[in-house]
Amino acid sequence: MTTSSERNRLPPGTVVTGKWNGKKYKLERLLGVGANGQVYLASQGRSFCALKIGTEAAELQGEANVLASLDGTERGRGRPPFLLDVDDFSLNGRDIPFYSMRYVPGTPLKNYLKRHGEHWIGVIGYRLLERLAELHEAGWVFCDIKNDNVLVHDYGRVELVDFGGVTAIGRSVRQFTELYDRGFWSAGSRTADAAYDWFAFGMLWLHATDGKRLLQLLNTRLPQDRGVEDLMKLVRSNSRLRPMEKWLERAFHGSFGDSREALGEWRLAHRKQGTDAAKGPAHVPAWMAGLLILSVALCATLATVWLFR
Amino acid sequence: MKQILLITDGCSNVGESPVSAAAQAFAEGITVNVAGVVDEGTIGEHGAREIGEIAKAGGGMSRIVQTRQLSQTVQMMTRQTVAGTIRQAVNQELKQLFGLESVGALPPAKRAEVVKVMDELEETSELRVALLIDTSASMKPKLHAVEEAVRDLALSLEARIGSSAVAVFHYPGEFGHLPCALDCDWTSDAGHLPLLFSRIKMKGTTPTGPALLQVVDYFRETCGKIRSELAEAPAYGRGDAGEVRSDYVV
Repeated sequence: MTTSSERNRLPPGTVVTGKWNGKKYKLERLLGVGANGQVYLASQGRSFCALKIGTEAAELQGEANVLASLDGTERGRGRPPFLLDVDDFSLNGRDIPFYSMRYVPGTPLKNYLKRHGEHWIGVIGYRLLERLAELHEAGWVFCDIKNDNVLVHDYGRVELVDFGGVTAIGRSVRQFTELYDRGFWSAGSRTADAAYDWFAFGMLWLHATDGKRLLQLLNTRLPQDRGVEDLMKLVRSNSRLRPMEKWLERAFHGSFGDSREALGEWRLAHRKQGTDAAKGPAHVPAWMAGLLILSVALCATLATVWLFR
Repeated sequence: MKQILLITDGCSNVGESPVSAAAQAFAEGITVNVAGVVDEGTIGEHGAREIGEIAKAGGGMSRIVQTRQLSQTVQMMTRQTVAGTIRQAVNQELKQLFGLESVGALPPAKRAEVVKVMDELEETSELRVALLIDTSASMKPKLHAVEEAVRDLALSLEARIGSSAVAVFHYPGEFGHLPCALDCDWTSDAGHLPLLFSRIKMKGTTPTGPALLQVVDYFRETCGKIRSELAEAPAYGRGDAGEVRSDYVV
Protein backbone atom coordinates (compact mmCIF):
# COMPACT_ATOMS: atom_id res chain seq x y z
CA MET A 1 0.00 0.00 0.00
CA THR A 2 1.32 3.41 -0.76
CA THR A 3 0.71 5.89 1.95
CA SER A 4 0.83 9.61 1.86
CA SER A 5 3.87 9.40 4.13
CA GLU A 6 5.93 7.95 1.29
CA ARG A 7 5.41 10.99 -0.82
CA ASN A 8 6.05 13.58 1.84
CA ARG A 9 9.66 12.87 2.55
CA LEU A 10 11.45 15.59 4.41
CA PRO A 11 14.76 16.62 2.85
CA PRO A 12 18.01 16.10 4.81
CA GLY A 13 18.93 19.17 6.79
CA THR A 14 15.33 19.89 7.82
CA VAL A 15 15.27 21.17 11.39
CA VAL A 16 12.51 19.82 13.58
CA THR A 17 11.71 21.88 16.65
CA GLY A 18 9.53 20.41 19.36
CA LYS A 19 6.45 22.45 20.21
CA TRP A 20 6.19 21.38 23.86
CA ASN A 21 9.69 20.44 24.94
CA GLY A 22 11.60 22.75 22.62
CA LYS A 23 14.29 20.26 21.55
CA LYS A 24 15.82 20.76 18.11
CA TYR A 25 16.68 17.92 15.74
CA LYS A 26 18.38 18.05 12.37
CA LEU A 27 17.29 15.30 9.99
CA GLU A 28 20.24 13.50 8.40
CA ARG A 29 18.62 10.81 6.28
CA LEU A 30 15.59 8.57 5.98
CA LEU A 31 16.14 5.21 7.71
CA GLY A 32 12.88 3.55 6.83
CA VAL A 33 9.20 3.89 6.07
CA GLY A 34 6.71 1.96 8.19
CA ALA A 35 2.98 1.45 8.07
CA ASN A 36 2.28 4.55 10.11
CA GLY A 37 5.24 6.84 9.69
CA GLN A 38 8.81 7.48 8.68
CA VAL A 39 11.97 7.01 10.70
CA TYR A 40 14.87 9.41 10.20
CA LEU A 41 18.38 9.50 11.52
CA ALA A 42 18.59 12.83 13.29
CA SER A 43 21.35 14.73 15.04
CA GLN A 44 21.31 16.92 18.10
CA GLY A 45 24.65 18.62 18.11
CA ARG A 46 27.06 15.71 18.18
CA SER A 47 24.76 12.95 19.26
CA PHE A 48 22.49 10.95 17.01
CA CYS A 49 19.03 9.55 17.54
CA ALA A 50 16.23 8.05 15.49
CA LEU A 51 13.18 10.21 14.94
CA LYS A 52 9.83 8.68 14.08
CA ILE A 53 7.42 11.05 12.40
CA GLY A 54 3.81 9.99 12.00
CA THR A 55 0.49 11.47 11.02
CA GLU A 56 -1.80 10.20 13.74
CA ALA A 57 -0.90 11.53 17.20
CA ALA A 58 -2.78 8.83 19.09
CA GLU A 59 -1.16 6.00 17.15
CA LEU A 60 2.34 7.35 17.61
CA GLN A 61 1.69 8.00 21.27
CA GLY A 62 0.61 4.38 21.65
CA GLU A 63 4.03 3.24 20.43
CA ALA A 64 5.79 5.76 22.62
CA ASN A 65 3.81 4.42 25.59
CA VAL A 66 5.11 0.92 24.97
CA LEU A 67 8.68 2.19 24.76
CA ALA A 68 8.25 4.22 27.95
CA SER A 69 6.82 1.23 29.73
CA LEU A 70 9.69 -0.98 28.53
CA ASP A 71 12.17 1.62 29.74
CA GLY A 72 10.41 1.58 33.08
CA THR A 73 10.63 -2.18 33.53
CA GLU A 74 14.19 -2.39 32.25
CA ARG A 75 15.75 0.46 34.13
CA GLY A 76 17.12 -2.03 36.65
CA ARG A 77 19.18 -3.78 33.98
CA GLY A 78 21.30 -0.73 33.32
CA ARG A 79 20.08 -0.50 29.74
CA PRO A 80 20.01 3.01 28.30
CA PRO A 81 16.43 4.17 27.67
CA PHE A 82 14.88 3.77 24.25
CA LEU A 83 12.43 6.62 24.35
CA LEU A 84 14.04 10.05 24.51
CA ASP A 85 11.34 12.59 23.68
CA VAL A 86 7.71 12.83 22.54
CA ASP A 87 6.58 16.05 20.88
CA ASP A 88 4.97 17.78 17.90
CA PHE A 89 6.44 20.09 15.33
CA SER A 90 4.83 22.47 12.95
CA LEU A 91 5.02 21.83 9.19
CA ASN A 92 3.16 24.07 6.76
CA GLY A 93 0.86 25.19 9.53
CA ARG A 94 -0.01 21.66 10.70
CA ASP A 95 1.11 19.96 13.89
CA ILE A 96 2.98 16.75 13.11
CA PRO A 97 3.56 14.31 15.98
CA PHE A 98 6.95 12.64 16.46
CA TYR A 99 9.04 10.85 19.03
CA SER A 100 12.77 10.33 19.29
CA MET A 101 14.50 7.15 20.39
CA ARG A 102 17.93 5.67 20.70
CA TYR A 103 19.57 5.14 17.32
CA VAL A 104 20.46 1.50 16.73
CA PRO A 105 23.22 0.87 14.20
CA GLY A 106 23.55 -2.42 12.35
CA THR A 107 22.46 -4.35 9.28
CA PRO A 108 19.46 -6.62 8.90
CA LEU A 109 20.22 -10.21 9.86
CA LYS A 110 20.27 -11.69 6.36
CA ASN A 111 22.80 -9.19 5.07
CA TYR A 112 24.99 -9.72 8.10
CA LEU A 113 25.03 -13.49 7.58
CA LYS A 114 25.83 -13.02 3.91
CA ARG A 115 28.77 -10.80 4.71
CA HIS A 116 30.15 -12.54 7.78
CA GLY A 117 29.12 -16.15 7.28
CA GLU A 118 26.43 -18.41 8.61
CA HIS A 119 28.58 -19.65 11.49
CA TRP A 120 27.38 -16.52 13.31
CA ILE A 121 23.91 -18.02 13.69
CA GLY A 122 24.73 -19.49 17.11
CA VAL A 123 25.87 -16.26 18.71
CA ILE A 124 23.27 -14.04 17.10
CA GLY A 125 20.48 -16.44 18.01
CA TYR A 126 21.72 -16.63 21.59
CA ARG A 127 21.80 -12.88 22.02
CA LEU A 128 18.41 -12.44 20.36
CA LEU A 129 16.78 -15.12 22.50
CA GLU A 130 18.22 -13.53 25.59
CA ARG A 131 16.75 -10.19 24.59
CA LEU A 132 13.39 -11.85 23.99
CA ALA A 133 13.56 -13.63 27.34
CA GLU A 134 14.05 -10.25 29.04
CA LEU A 135 11.01 -8.83 27.25
CA HIS A 136 8.90 -11.85 28.14
CA GLU A 137 9.93 -11.67 31.78
CA ALA A 138 8.79 -8.05 31.80
CA GLY A 139 5.38 -9.15 30.50
CA TRP A 140 5.80 -8.21 26.83
CA VAL A 141 5.88 -10.07 23.55
CA PHE A 142 7.74 -8.53 20.61
CA CYS A 143 5.46 -10.18 17.99
CA ASP A 144 6.81 -8.66 14.78
CA ILE A 145 10.13 -10.50 14.64
CA LYS A 146 11.42 -10.48 11.07
CA ASN A 147 14.60 -9.97 9.15
CA ASP A 148 14.21 -6.20 8.83
CA ASN A 149 13.59 -5.77 12.54
CA VAL A 150 16.66 -7.65 13.70
CA LEU A 151 19.75 -5.48 13.33
CA VAL A 152 23.19 -7.00 13.87
CA HIS A 153 26.46 -5.19 14.40
CA ASP A 154 29.96 -5.81 15.85
CA TYR A 155 30.52 -9.52 16.45
CA GLY A 156 26.93 -10.64 16.49
CA ARG A 157 25.45 -8.02 18.80
CA VAL A 158 21.73 -7.82 18.16
CA GLU A 159 19.12 -5.12 18.62
CA LEU A 160 15.44 -5.31 17.89
CA VAL A 161 13.91 -2.31 16.19
CA ASP A 162 10.32 -1.22 15.49
CA PHE A 163 8.52 -1.67 18.77
CA GLY A 164 5.16 -0.85 17.20
CA GLY A 165 4.11 -4.49 17.47
CA VAL A 166 5.09 -5.06 21.10
CA THR A 167 2.06 -6.42 22.93
CA ALA A 168 1.34 -7.25 26.56
CA ILE A 169 1.13 -10.99 27.20
CA GLY A 170 -2.45 -12.20 26.77
CA ARG A 171 -3.54 -9.44 24.38
CA SER A 172 -4.18 -9.85 20.69
CA VAL A 173 -1.24 -9.50 18.33
CA ARG A 174 -1.76 -6.31 16.35
CA GLN A 175 1.24 -6.14 14.06
CA PHE A 176 2.74 -9.17 12.38
CA THR A 177 4.23 -10.36 9.13
CA GLU A 178 2.37 -13.25 7.51
CA LEU A 179 5.42 -15.36 6.79
CA TYR A 180 6.45 -15.28 10.46
CA ASP A 181 2.99 -15.54 11.93
CA ARG A 182 1.99 -18.60 13.96
CA GLY A 183 -1.66 -18.27 12.92
CA PHE A 184 -0.75 -18.10 9.25
CA TRP A 185 0.99 -21.51 9.51
CA SER A 186 -1.96 -23.02 11.43
CA ALA A 187 0.29 -23.51 14.44
CA GLY A 188 -1.68 -21.61 17.04
CA SER A 189 -3.59 -18.50 17.98
CA ARG A 190 -2.81 -14.82 17.58
CA THR A 191 -2.83 -14.20 21.29
CA ALA A 192 0.52 -12.78 22.39
CA ASP A 193 2.58 -15.20 24.48
CA ALA A 194 6.26 -16.19 24.62
CA ALA A 195 5.64 -19.07 22.23
CA TYR A 196 4.44 -16.61 19.59
CA ASP A 197 7.93 -15.12 19.56
CA TRP A 198 9.64 -18.54 19.55
CA PHE A 199 7.73 -19.42 16.42
CA ALA A 200 8.71 -16.23 14.64
CA PHE A 201 12.28 -16.67 15.86
CA GLY A 202 12.35 -20.11 14.22
CA MET A 203 10.95 -18.67 11.01
CA LEU A 204 13.64 -16.02 11.08
CA TRP A 205 16.33 -18.66 10.52
CA LEU A 206 14.39 -20.48 7.85
CA HIS A 207 13.84 -17.21 6.06
CA ALA A 208 17.44 -16.08 6.47
CA THR A 209 19.08 -19.31 5.32
CA ASP A 210 16.48 -20.81 3.01
CA GLY A 211 14.33 -17.93 1.82
CA LYS A 212 13.90 -19.17 -1.72
CA ARG A 213 12.55 -22.59 -0.81
CA LEU A 214 10.33 -21.07 1.87
CA LEU A 215 8.67 -18.74 -0.62
CA GLN A 216 8.29 -21.62 -3.03
CA LEU A 217 6.51 -23.61 -0.35
CA LEU A 218 4.27 -20.65 0.28
CA ASN A 219 3.24 -20.46 -3.36
CA THR A 220 2.50 -24.14 -3.78
CA ARG A 221 0.59 -24.87 -0.56
CA LEU A 222 -3.09 -24.20 -0.07
CA PRO A 223 -3.79 -22.22 3.09
CA GLN A 224 -5.58 -25.07 4.85
CA ASP A 225 -2.62 -27.40 4.20
CA ARG A 226 0.04 -25.12 5.61
CA GLY A 227 1.54 -26.54 8.74
CA VAL A 228 4.57 -27.08 10.92
CA GLU A 229 5.40 -30.36 9.18
CA ASP A 230 6.09 -28.46 5.95
CA LEU A 231 8.49 -26.23 7.79
CA MET A 232 10.23 -29.17 9.43
CA LYS A 233 10.74 -30.77 6.02
CA LEU A 234 12.62 -27.68 4.95
CA VAL A 235 14.67 -27.76 8.14
CA ARG A 236 15.63 -31.42 7.71
CA SER A 237 16.88 -30.85 4.19
CA ASN A 238 18.86 -27.74 5.10
CA SER A 239 22.43 -28.52 6.13
CA ARG A 240 22.69 -25.30 8.14
CA LEU A 241 19.58 -25.93 10.21
CA ARG A 242 19.60 -29.72 10.45
CA PRO A 243 21.59 -29.68 13.70
CA MET A 244 18.91 -27.39 15.14
CA GLU A 245 16.10 -29.71 14.08
CA LYS A 246 14.99 -30.70 17.57
CA TRP A 247 15.18 -27.12 18.82
CA LEU A 248 13.23 -25.71 15.90
CA GLU A 249 10.58 -28.38 16.21
CA ARG A 250 10.00 -27.40 19.82
CA ALA A 251 9.95 -23.72 18.88
CA PHE A 252 7.35 -24.29 16.16
CA HIS A 253 5.20 -26.27 18.56
CA GLY A 254 5.77 -23.83 21.40
CA SER A 255 6.87 -26.63 23.71
CA PHE A 256 9.52 -24.96 25.82
CA GLY A 257 8.73 -24.33 29.47
CA ASP A 258 9.81 -20.71 29.22
CA SER A 259 12.17 -18.49 27.26
CA ARG A 260 15.14 -19.22 29.55
CA GLU A 261 14.76 -22.89 28.77
CA ALA A 262 14.61 -22.09 25.07
CA LEU A 263 17.80 -20.08 25.47
CA GLY A 264 19.60 -22.87 27.34
CA GLU A 265 18.57 -25.44 24.77
CA TRP A 266 19.68 -23.21 21.92
CA ARG A 267 23.12 -22.94 23.49
CA LEU A 268 23.36 -26.70 24.02
CA ALA A 269 22.33 -27.46 20.45
CA HIS A 270 25.05 -25.19 19.13
CA ARG A 271 27.73 -26.57 21.45
CA LYS A 272 26.84 -30.04 20.29
CA GLN A 273 27.00 -28.98 16.69
CA GLY A 274 30.43 -27.47 17.35
CA THR A 275 31.84 -30.61 18.93
CA ASP A 276 30.35 -32.79 16.20
CA ALA A 277 31.99 -30.59 13.63
CA ALA A 278 35.35 -30.88 15.42
CA LYS A 279 35.06 -34.66 15.35
CA GLY A 280 33.94 -34.54 11.77
CA PRO A 281 37.23 -34.55 9.80
CA ALA A 282 38.37 -37.78 11.55
CA HIS A 283 35.81 -39.68 9.53
CA VAL A 284 37.07 -39.97 5.97
CA PRO A 285 34.13 -39.88 3.58
CA ALA A 286 33.55 -43.13 1.74
CA TRP A 287 33.97 -41.59 -1.69
CA MET A 288 37.38 -40.25 -0.74
CA ALA A 289 38.53 -43.63 0.55
CA GLY A 290 37.19 -45.26 -2.60
CA LEU A 291 39.06 -42.83 -4.79
CA LEU A 292 42.28 -43.50 -2.89
CA ILE A 293 41.95 -47.27 -3.30
CA LEU A 294 41.16 -46.80 -6.97
CA SER A 295 44.21 -44.61 -7.57
CA VAL A 296 46.50 -47.02 -5.68
CA ALA A 297 45.18 -49.92 -7.73
CA LEU A 298 45.60 -47.95 -10.94
CA CYS A 299 49.15 -47.03 -9.93
CA ALA A 300 50.00 -50.66 -9.12
CA THR A 301 48.57 -51.89 -12.42
CA LEU A 302 50.50 -49.32 -14.37
CA ALA A 303 53.69 -50.16 -12.47
CA THR A 304 53.16 -53.88 -13.14
CA VAL A 305 52.50 -53.28 -16.80
CA TRP A 306 55.63 -51.09 -17.03
CA LEU A 307 57.85 -53.56 -15.12
CA PHE A 308 56.85 -56.63 -17.09
CA ARG A 309 56.82 -54.91 -20.40
CA MET B 1 -18.89 -1.57 17.67
CA LYS B 2 -20.46 -2.75 14.44
CA GLN B 3 -18.85 -3.02 11.03
CA ILE B 4 -19.80 -4.31 7.62
CA LEU B 5 -16.98 -5.32 5.37
CA LEU B 6 -17.94 -5.50 1.72
CA ILE B 7 -15.68 -7.48 -0.61
CA THR B 8 -16.47 -7.00 -4.28
CA ASP B 9 -14.86 -6.67 -7.69
CA GLY B 10 -17.20 -4.49 -9.62
CA CYS B 11 -20.28 -2.38 -9.86
CA SER B 12 -23.71 -3.03 -8.50
CA ASN B 13 -26.37 -3.44 -11.16
CA VAL B 14 -29.65 -4.22 -9.39
CA GLY B 15 -31.84 -2.43 -6.87
CA GLU B 16 -31.19 0.47 -4.52
CA SER B 17 -28.03 2.51 -4.70
CA PRO B 18 -25.31 0.92 -2.55
CA VAL B 19 -24.14 4.40 -1.59
CA SER B 20 -27.42 5.34 0.07
CA ALA B 21 -27.63 1.85 1.59
CA ALA B 22 -24.19 2.40 3.18
CA ALA B 23 -25.31 5.80 4.41
CA GLN B 24 -28.33 4.14 6.04
CA ALA B 25 -26.03 1.59 7.73
CA PHE B 26 -23.84 4.39 9.06
CA ALA B 27 -26.89 6.24 10.33
CA GLU B 28 -27.68 3.13 12.38
CA GLY B 29 -24.21 3.04 13.89
CA ILE B 30 -22.62 0.54 11.52
CA THR B 31 -19.39 1.47 9.75
CA VAL B 32 -19.03 0.17 6.19
CA ASN B 33 -15.58 -0.68 4.79
CA VAL B 34 -15.03 -1.84 1.22
CA ALA B 35 -12.30 -3.99 -0.27
CA GLY B 36 -12.23 -3.99 -4.06
CA VAL B 37 -10.42 -7.05 -5.39
CA VAL B 38 -8.72 -6.96 -8.75
CA ASP B 39 -6.27 -9.35 -10.28
CA GLU B 40 -5.24 -8.69 -13.80
CA GLY B 41 -6.36 -5.36 -15.10
CA THR B 42 -8.23 -2.71 -13.21
CA ILE B 43 -11.57 -2.44 -11.60
CA GLY B 44 -12.71 0.25 -14.00
CA GLU B 45 -13.21 3.89 -13.27
CA HIS B 46 -16.88 3.48 -12.50
CA GLY B 47 -16.30 0.55 -10.13
CA ALA B 48 -13.50 2.34 -8.31
CA ARG B 49 -15.62 5.42 -7.86
CA GLU B 50 -18.55 3.41 -6.53
CA ILE B 51 -16.33 1.60 -4.03
CA GLY B 52 -14.93 4.88 -2.78
CA GLU B 53 -18.39 6.39 -2.49
CA ILE B 54 -19.84 3.41 -0.58
CA ALA B 55 -17.05 3.65 2.00
CA LYS B 56 -17.40 7.40 2.31
CA ALA B 57 -21.15 7.16 2.83
CA GLY B 58 -20.61 4.31 5.28
CA GLY B 59 -18.11 6.24 7.38
CA GLY B 60 -15.40 3.70 6.62
CA MET B 61 -12.48 3.27 4.27
CA SER B 62 -11.94 1.58 0.94
CA ARG B 63 -8.98 -0.11 -0.67
CA ILE B 64 -8.49 -1.65 -4.08
CA VAL B 65 -6.12 -4.58 -3.79
CA GLN B 66 -4.83 -7.74 -5.45
CA THR B 67 -6.13 -11.01 -4.04
CA ARG B 68 -2.84 -11.81 -2.31
CA GLN B 69 -3.05 -8.60 -0.28
CA LEU B 70 -6.64 -9.21 0.71
CA SER B 71 -6.05 -10.85 4.12
CA GLN B 72 -3.77 -8.10 5.24
CA THR B 73 -6.03 -5.34 3.96
CA VAL B 74 -9.13 -6.76 5.60
CA GLN B 75 -7.39 -6.87 8.97
CA MET B 76 -5.89 -3.45 8.58
CA MET B 77 -9.27 -1.90 7.77
CA THR B 78 -11.02 -3.65 10.65
CA ARG B 79 -8.40 -2.58 13.16
CA GLN B 80 -8.14 0.96 11.90
CA THR B 81 -11.88 1.33 11.97
CA VAL B 82 -12.00 0.23 15.60
CA ALA B 83 -9.20 2.66 16.44
CA GLY B 84 -10.88 5.40 14.42
CA THR B 85 -14.24 4.93 16.11
CA ILE B 86 -12.65 5.16 19.55
CA ARG B 87 -10.56 8.14 18.54
CA GLN B 88 -13.63 9.92 17.28
CA ALA B 89 -15.53 9.29 20.49
CA VAL B 90 -12.60 10.46 22.61
CA ASN B 91 -12.04 13.55 20.48
CA GLN B 92 -15.69 14.42 20.82
CA GLU B 93 -15.47 14.18 24.60
CA LEU B 94 -12.33 16.30 24.63
CA LYS B 95 -14.04 18.91 22.56
CA GLN B 96 -17.08 19.05 24.78
CA LEU B 97 -15.16 19.04 28.03
CA PHE B 98 -12.10 21.12 27.24
CA GLY B 99 -12.74 22.71 23.85
CA LEU B 100 -9.78 20.82 22.38
CA GLU B 101 -9.66 19.88 18.73
CA SER B 102 -8.31 16.32 19.22
CA VAL B 103 -6.02 14.09 21.27
CA GLY B 104 -3.13 15.66 19.38
CA ALA B 105 -3.86 19.02 21.01
CA LEU B 106 -3.04 17.65 24.46
CA PRO B 107 0.50 18.04 25.78
CA PRO B 108 2.47 14.77 25.38
CA ALA B 109 2.31 13.73 29.03
CA LYS B 110 -1.50 13.97 29.16
CA ARG B 111 -1.76 12.50 25.69
CA ALA B 112 0.09 9.43 26.94
CA GLU B 113 -2.55 8.85 29.60
CA VAL B 114 -5.48 9.30 27.25
CA VAL B 115 -3.94 7.00 24.66
CA LYS B 116 -3.48 4.30 27.30
CA VAL B 117 -7.21 4.35 27.87
CA MET B 118 -7.85 4.33 24.13
CA ASP B 119 -5.59 1.31 23.60
CA GLU B 120 -7.38 -0.48 26.38
CA LEU B 121 -10.74 0.21 24.75
CA GLU B 122 -9.40 -0.91 21.40
CA GLU B 123 -8.58 -4.32 22.82
CA THR B 124 -11.56 -4.79 25.10
CA SER B 125 -14.54 -3.23 23.35
CA GLU B 126 -17.17 -5.48 21.86
CA LEU B 127 -16.83 -5.92 18.12
CA ARG B 128 -19.06 -7.38 15.41
CA VAL B 129 -17.95 -7.63 11.83
CA ALA B 130 -20.39 -8.82 9.16
CA LEU B 131 -18.62 -9.75 5.95
CA LEU B 132 -20.64 -9.30 2.80
CA ILE B 133 -19.10 -11.05 -0.14
CA ASP B 134 -19.84 -10.54 -3.80
CA THR B 135 -20.10 -13.96 -5.45
CA SER B 136 -21.16 -12.85 -8.89
CA ALA B 137 -19.52 -14.81 -11.69
CA SER B 138 -16.37 -12.72 -12.03
CA MET B 139 -15.47 -13.32 -8.38
CA LYS B 140 -15.16 -17.07 -8.82
CA PRO B 141 -11.36 -17.28 -9.16
CA LYS B 142 -10.93 -15.01 -6.15
CA LEU B 143 -13.09 -16.89 -3.67
CA HIS B 144 -10.20 -18.98 -2.32
CA ALA B 145 -8.40 -15.82 -1.32
CA VAL B 146 -11.61 -14.40 0.14
CA GLU B 147 -12.18 -17.51 2.20
CA GLU B 148 -8.64 -17.33 3.55
CA ALA B 149 -9.05 -13.66 4.39
CA VAL B 150 -12.25 -14.42 6.32
CA ARG B 151 -10.56 -17.16 8.33
CA ASP B 152 -7.56 -15.00 8.98
CA LEU B 153 -9.74 -12.18 10.24
CA ALA B 154 -11.66 -14.56 12.49
CA LEU B 155 -8.36 -15.82 13.92
CA SER B 156 -7.26 -12.30 14.76
CA LEU B 157 -10.58 -11.36 16.31
CA GLU B 158 -10.60 -14.54 18.36
CA ALA B 159 -7.42 -13.33 20.07
CA ARG B 160 -9.01 -10.08 21.26
CA ILE B 161 -9.96 -9.74 24.89
CA GLY B 162 -13.24 -8.01 24.13
CA SER B 163 -16.06 -10.18 22.85
CA SER B 164 -15.74 -10.36 19.07
CA ALA B 165 -17.72 -12.14 16.41
CA VAL B 166 -17.96 -12.40 12.65
CA ALA B 167 -20.88 -13.31 10.42
CA VAL B 168 -20.58 -14.06 6.73
CA PHE B 169 -23.03 -13.28 3.94
CA HIS B 170 -22.76 -13.67 0.21
CA TYR B 171 -24.77 -12.03 -2.52
CA PRO B 172 -26.73 -12.50 -4.72
CA GLY B 173 -28.86 -14.86 -2.58
CA GLU B 174 -29.78 -18.37 -3.63
CA PHE B 175 -33.48 -18.12 -4.19
CA GLY B 176 -33.87 -14.94 -6.10
CA HIS B 177 -36.19 -13.18 -3.68
CA LEU B 178 -33.51 -12.33 -1.13
CA PRO B 179 -30.60 -10.12 -2.13
CA CYS B 180 -28.09 -11.98 0.05
CA ALA B 181 -27.74 -15.25 1.95
CA LEU B 182 -26.28 -15.96 5.39
CA ASP B 183 -23.34 -18.39 5.29
CA CYS B 184 -22.35 -18.20 8.90
CA ASP B 185 -24.17 -16.76 11.90
CA TRP B 186 -22.22 -14.76 14.52
CA THR B 187 -19.31 -16.85 15.64
CA SER B 188 -16.33 -16.04 17.80
CA ASP B 189 -14.41 -19.21 17.01
CA ALA B 190 -12.27 -19.27 13.89
CA GLY B 191 -12.05 -23.06 14.08
CA HIS B 192 -15.80 -23.39 13.69
CA LEU B 193 -16.19 -21.46 10.48
CA PRO B 194 -17.76 -23.79 7.96
CA LEU B 195 -16.48 -24.18 4.43
CA LEU B 196 -18.00 -21.06 3.05
CA PHE B 197 -18.36 -21.01 -0.67
CA SER B 198 -18.15 -24.59 -1.79
CA ARG B 199 -21.76 -24.96 -2.91
CA ILE B 200 -22.48 -21.55 -4.29
CA LYS B 201 -23.94 -21.27 -7.73
CA MET B 202 -22.46 -18.25 -9.39
CA LYS B 203 -24.97 -15.83 -10.82
CA GLY B 204 -24.66 -12.69 -12.79
CA THR B 205 -26.46 -9.96 -10.87
CA THR B 206 -24.81 -7.77 -8.29
CA PRO B 207 -27.45 -6.33 -5.92
CA THR B 208 -24.96 -4.56 -3.65
CA GLY B 209 -27.41 -1.99 -2.27
CA PRO B 210 -30.22 -4.39 -1.32
CA ALA B 211 -27.69 -6.82 0.14
CA LEU B 212 -26.21 -4.10 2.36
CA LEU B 213 -29.67 -3.20 3.62
CA GLN B 214 -30.42 -6.82 4.42
CA VAL B 215 -27.25 -7.04 6.52
CA VAL B 216 -28.31 -3.89 8.35
CA ASP B 217 -31.62 -5.63 9.13
CA TYR B 218 -29.66 -8.60 10.43
CA PHE B 219 -27.71 -6.32 12.76
CA ARG B 220 -30.98 -4.89 14.05
CA GLU B 221 -32.44 -8.34 14.64
CA THR B 222 -29.41 -9.86 16.33
CA CYS B 223 -27.33 -7.15 17.91
CA GLY B 224 -29.72 -4.93 19.83
CA LYS B 225 -30.31 -7.72 22.30
CA ILE B 226 -26.81 -9.10 22.42
CA ARG B 227 -25.38 -5.76 23.28
CA SER B 228 -27.30 -5.30 26.51
CA GLU B 229 -26.81 -8.93 27.48
CA LEU B 230 -23.08 -8.80 26.98
CA ALA B 231 -22.77 -5.52 28.78
CA GLU B 232 -24.38 -7.12 31.82
CA ALA B 233 -22.32 -10.25 31.60
CA PRO B 234 -18.84 -9.27 30.45
CA ALA B 235 -17.42 -12.55 31.73
CA TYR B 236 -19.10 -14.31 28.88
CA GLY B 237 -16.38 -14.46 26.30
CA ARG B 238 -14.93 -16.24 23.38
CA GLY B 239 -14.40 -19.94 23.50
CA ASP B 240 -17.48 -20.75 25.55
CA ALA B 241 -19.53 -21.65 22.56
CA GLY B 242 -19.08 -21.49 18.86
CA GLU B 243 -22.12 -19.38 18.45
CA VAL B 244 -22.94 -16.35 20.45
CA ARG B 245 -26.42 -15.44 19.45
CA SER B 246 -28.49 -18.49 20.13
CA ASP B 247 -27.81 -18.46 23.86
CA TYR B 248 -28.62 -14.83 24.20
CA VAL B 249 -31.77 -14.15 22.30
CA VAL B 250 -34.27 -13.13 24.94
